[in-house]
Amino acid sequence: MADTMGHSATATRNTKVALGFCLLAIAPQIFELIWSIGTIFGWGTGRGPSAVVISHATALLAGAPGALIGAASGDTKKVSSEVLLALIYSYPLFVVAILTFFMTIRSAQDYVGGVVLMAVALFALWAGSDLQGMRGFSFGAGTAPRMFGGLLVALSAGIALTGLLTDGPPMAHYSWRGPLFVMAGILFFALAIRPLGLVVTGFISFMIAAAGSQETRWLEAAIVGACLTLGCAILFPYVLGLPMPMFPRFLAQ
Amino acid sequence: MELFANLAHGFVVAFSPINLLMCLIGALVGTLVGVLPGIGTIATVAMLLPITFGLPPVGALIMLAGIYYGAQYGGSTTSILVNIPGEATSVVTAIDGHQMARQGRAGPALAIAAIGSFFAGCVATVLIAVLGAPLTKLALAFGPAEYFSLMVLGLIFAVVLAKGSVLKAIAMIVFGLLLSMVGSDIETGASRMAFNIPELADGLGFATVAMGVFGFAEIIRNLDAGAEMSRDLVQQKITGLMPTRKDLVDSTPAILRGTVLGSILGILPGGGATIASFGSYTLEKKLARNPSRFGRGAIEGVAGPESANNAAAQTSFIPLLTLGIPPNAVMALMVGAMTIHGIVPGPQVMQKQPDLVWGMIASMWIGNLMLIIINLPLVGIWVRLLRVPYRLMFPSIVIFCAIGIYSVNNAPVDVILAGVFGLVGYWLIKHDFEPAPLLLGMVLGPLMEENLRRALLISRGDWSVFVMRPLSAVLLAVAAGLLVLTVLPALRSKRDEVFTESEN
Repeated sequence: MADTMGHSATATRNTKVALGFCLLAIAPQIFELIWSIGTIFGWGTGRGPSAVVISHATALLAGAPGALIGAASGDTKKVSSEVLLALIYSYPLFVVAILTFFMTIRSAQDYVGGVVLMAVALFALWAGSDLQGMRGFSFGAGTAPRMFGGLLVALSAGIALTGLLTDGPPMAHYSWRGPLFVMAGILFFALAIRPLGLVVTGFISFMIAAAGSQETRWLEAAIVGACLTLGCAILFPYVLGLPMPMFPRFLAQ
Repeated sequence: MELFANLAHGFVVAFSPINLLMCLIGALVGTLVGVLPGIGTIATVAMLLPITFGLPPVGALIMLAGIYYGAQYGGSTTSILVNIPGEATSVVTAIDGHQMARQGRAGPALAIAAIGSFFAGCVATVLIAVLGAPLTKLALAFGPAEYFSLMVLGLIFAVVLAKGSVLKAIAMIVFGLLLSMVGSDIETGASRMAFNIPELADGLGFATVAMGVFGFAEIIRNLDAGAEMSRDLVQQKITGLMPTRKDLVDSTPAILRGTVLGSILGILPGGGATIASFGSYTLEKKLARNPSRFGRGAIEGVAGPESANNAAAQTSFIPLLTLGIPPNAVMALMVGAMTIHGIVPGPQVMQKQPDLVWGMIASMWIGNLMLIIINLPLVGIWVRLLRVPYRLMFPSIVIFCAIGIYSVNNAPVDVILAGVFGLVGYWLIKHDFEPAPLLLGMVLGPLMEENLRRALLISRGDWSVFVMRPLSAVLLAVAAGLLVLTVLPALRSKRDEVFTESEN
């Protein structure tokens, strides 16, 4: 009884991990889709969302298998970058995700760490796939990235294997509050520093970041934030001589 | 004597009022930030890097060197008083230092740490001056193959000295190497993995990644534990700063041994200060007549490691100044700072920029002297700083870092990238990957690629060049030997022992 229960517990968790990997396998495509939504409102130049979906879907479902069969029959036609992404990045990760279903993960920390690192390496291999390789005995621009990328794939596979073969710690606990608000503060700072200037941006980012802890007392934080902003507004531009916008653009003009 | 003429020249440069001021400010600010719990040396140097940009190169590097020692000294103050070591090098100091503080002997512990550091600093300064010139000559005999092999050795050292899994440490180095490939190719100018983002065309900024992985990631990680970390702050007033005669007698041999050990380990590329302090603690414990005193407030346990890590911190400038190879992450940041000022570290720096090199060496000694003079009376202020609650400190650090990164290139994208690397760093911590080897790999990446390409071009694509040239072969053999020794299980368990010393 205990045995079956234990088995079902790992099974459900494995399913989650495997589904996570599937999502990871199409993460770049999803990212491009989200990015492309901006084009509807006229931000940035690029393909619209529908074009992105169609091109990636055909690449994943038809283009890549076609290219594989083509390669097997000795046909070396130039393939598009979507097909390459599917071949180099997505397919290997789908394979890993499928394998994950049948594995007993003994150390989730190592296994997941290794697989995600492998995803990074595969992505780098894809990103460098358009670069020139060896020319005779001289290195091309793409040789070293490919070398290190390949090495990282091997090493991360090794780490993932350790996670399967040896006992180790499970996944660590992630909290969402700290990362979310700190990142939001940083993001706001990056977006607002040019139009709004240091004084406004610094203070608001401080308050956003301060929300990252439950123990923040707002009045106290506001006072410290104001003092810090004032201090930085004197320190950076005047004492250190690093020029930066101080006040909102619409006020300065 | 050329040596003394050089040193004298250095002191003339360093004693100019403006440089003295830079050194003082650096040491003070470094201590100020280094004292904040949870911020290690690397994060401190990364955070404060932008404030040196407006200065002339000599002043900027003197200030950065000051920040470095200040941060290290600040780190040991926190570990003694609060038992929160800011970084790996002061982990061992916390063991006995904090015990001493709880017994009401915080004063002597801090004083011995300062005295030990100062003595080690003096010896290391002389050592740099003595070894600098001959090593530079050796460096001129180095071809691309030798440089490549030396860097491999350095990276392997970093692996050996990293905590935990060897495989993970190597993976982190390769990840760093891969990250360093982003941007324009040196030879062909082809844009690599930049996704047509103009800000990536120059590659990932080193300070950006360092600030993200060490600064932001640490903040997020600390928030996990709840803003009010359990702080074991020694509350009673610190009285009687001066150590007793017995303290001095007990700690003198420990300081001497720590200095020797630290100086040797610092020169080796790879990790320097951390292993030096751990090594020194283990050595003192082994040599002690009554080892059970360790962990209960033995003054040797403070004196030895503190001297060792300061000696190592300074001698690690030797490979940087002579060979142009940064032996650890902090030195890697120094390379970044030098590059920003248009100085390419390497053998030619010593000849072309004597002001810079010897001025910096002399200022190291002055900086150490300043630390001992300033910090002992200021301990009270540092303690007060430690009482600032984390809920106020962390948003301040976030904003300060954000402004700092922005001011490097006036580029908002850099701030976002640092944020992203903050998340990457958080993820790495959660999966027990160490970020320091990543940083080292990232700095050495372009140098390694360049030398590898050049070596293979000269040998017409023949890979055997790395083992046919004697110097290169020796370096690679040492690297391979080290790696084998590390992977061997028997030695591995021993290595873990050295590093887990702090946890019991």
